[in-house]
Amino acid sequence: MSSRKTIGEALVAAADTHFGLRFIEHDATTKVTSYRDLLADALCIAGALRAHGYTSGDRVALVIPEVSRFVHAFFGIVAAGLVPVPLCPPAQAGDVATFAKQSLHIIRASRAVAVLTTDDVAPLLHASAGHPDAGGPLSQTFHTLDQLRTGDAPLASPAALTLDDIALLQFTSGSTALPKGVVLSHGNIAANVEAILGPSGLDARAGDVAVSWLPLYHDMGLIGMLLSSLYAPADAVLMSQVLFLKRPSAWLNAISTWGGTVSYAPNFAYELCRRRVKSSQLAALDLSRWRVAGCGAEPIRPDTLMQFADYFAPAGFAATSFLPSYGLAEHSLAVSFAHGGLDVDVVDAELLVQESRAVPVVNGAASLRIVRCGEPFPGHAIRIVDEAFNELPERHVGSIVAAGPSVMQGYFEQPAATAGALRDGWLQTGDLGYMANGSLYLCGRTKDLIIRQGRKYHPPDIESSLADLQGVALSGVVVFAITTVGDTDEVVAVIETRAGGRGPEIEEAVRRRVRETAGLDIDRVILTPPGTIPRTTSGKVRRSETRERLEAGTLVR
Amino acid sequence: MERFDTPSASAAGPTADMANATADRFERDTIDILKRLSRRPIEPTLDKELMADLGFDSLQILEFIGELEDHFNIAVPLNSLTHIRTVGQIVAEVRGLAASRPWAPA
Repeated sequence: MSSRKTIGEALVAAADTHFGLRFIEHDATTKVTSYRDLLADALCIAGALRAHGYTSGDRVALVIPEVSRFVHAFFGIVAAGLVPVPLCPPAQAGDVATFAKQSLHIIRASRAVAVLTTDDVAPLLHASAGHPDAGGPLSQTFHTLDQLRTGDAPLASPAALTLDDIALLQFTSGSTALPKGVVLSHGNIAANVEAILGPSGLDARAGDVAVSWLPLYHDMGLIGMLLSSLYAPADAVLMSQVLFLKRPSAWLNAISTWGGTVSYAPNFAYELCRRRVKSSQLAALDLSRWRVAGCGAEPIRPDTLMQFADYFAPAGFAATSFLPSYGLAEHSLAVSFAHGGLDVDVVDAELLVQESRAVPVVNGAASLRIVRCGEPFPGHAIRIVDEAFNELPERHVGSIVAAGPSVMQGYFEQPAATAGALRDGWLQTGDLGYMANGSLYLCGRTKDLIIRQGRKYHPPDIESSLADLQGVALSGVVVFAITTVGDTDEVVAVIETRAGGRGPEIEEAVRRRVRETAGLDIDRVILTPPGTIPRTTSGKVRRSETRERLEAGTLVR
Repeated sequence: MERFDTPSASAAGPTADMANATADRFERDTIDILKRLSRRPIEPTLDKELMADLGFDSLQILEFIGELEDHFNIAVPLNSLTHIRTVGQIVAEVRGLAASRPWAPA
């Protein structure tokens, strides 16, 4: 076993090589920095942070939209021995209120000592904090990179830390009511990166180049792409997510131009490329060196990936490059990778739904196609358990639990939530699945979560945002996702309406409110008379039961 | 792709008419692109909000911005993206960016 390193030690080791990073910003401007230069700049930023009196373990919120600046700031915070708390930057039209609300929550919940941001973003946070219901002005000191770089006392080396020290506070996305910070130690990250780079992972080799547009404030971009490249060490091309979403071809162009061998994306990105990259652009692309096309973070649709492979075959893309993956922030990132391309288990739909058994389909019965997500990494374990925590035999669907050195330390200052997630060292992933021939297959999830384009949304947050709408009955709102194996979530809102309310107006108001507050599109709004939604004796809505009744056709008569 | 905002094309025609014609073109083309990208029939007017009124999600908004950038040969700054809500604001932004191009006609 290799000796594991803290992030600071990995940066020092990488600085001794000729490798480095290429940044491609939202407007396609490009910058290159070697790990050596990155270390020097990080030590300069770290010196300035230390000069402000921050000490090891203090949290620093990081809100920077530009890729290059984010990376420099991240390593500056790490080199100072502080704990970065990456935040989603504001990006889209009209999303300022949501951005500010979520950011303020996280800044306060993490009890950050400082916020490292830009001159553009800082005013948005200050303005929002001033609102009466936002908790008042922020006590944190705000810094920009330019200010910190004027510090003239760089550290000689990154602050000495151990593998047990906290490396990162990763807040789970989408939640506004109760943001939960996943606490990861340097040891967690080193163990997960080791698994990712190892033979059961990407099987990293000389000449690898990672290309990524994934946001760096999330685990897949930050740990899977940036930190894995640092620890390897290897070259990486890091592109702005905004550029990718504006022009998906920019991602494939970068892979083609810079000889990308490893790149990761959620299912929707492959769909987006097939839909928006014109066939006339294919001739200019060379995707033949792309040996690992990872797919994870949201349900994998076999059809999407096969269509992508067919469409981009003329550009040299090989379907065997697909690497379906499973992971979650609470497990640092990766839980399992499936080698050998897309491998689909075709099981009897009836038996899966009724008896929770995944039985290979025989002649013509209704079937479901489930993607193989691989085997556990060395030193890690995966089990499928029932509600009493007993391990289930192969091909029985149950809760996925995972153990090993990648499992988080807990949720930041939330002992109850931590106790709920960790049981005797086993992480309750909240996902459902089964094992077959030692491989993991995913079939949905136990938690009430909505996943859209890799982003997670919590139904209670959305429900509470609808409570005061005109025409909506008192606590007459339930929002949930109908999850179909191998398909994207359908987001449904069931609304009990007051007498006299006008249907089309209420429906439009519901859609509008959810778009504005959560940035989420509701697929289906169902208006019902009061008393339709099942409730507990204390009057709380029963979300799962509402969903089950809707699917069974017994919710609305 | 058709590009009618090249320097040579813009240099043609009397300057007085051009201000009006240009204004119409930015608005008309922006609205055409919006209609083409929408998943359902929409009637965009300058006061409409992209998310709340026209039903665009964050993904579609960035696709829209990308199309605008290609069509008008501009680069929309990140900071503007954050603040733009309505069709009218976008048209104004596009017009401003097009006018500030180094080779834009005086």
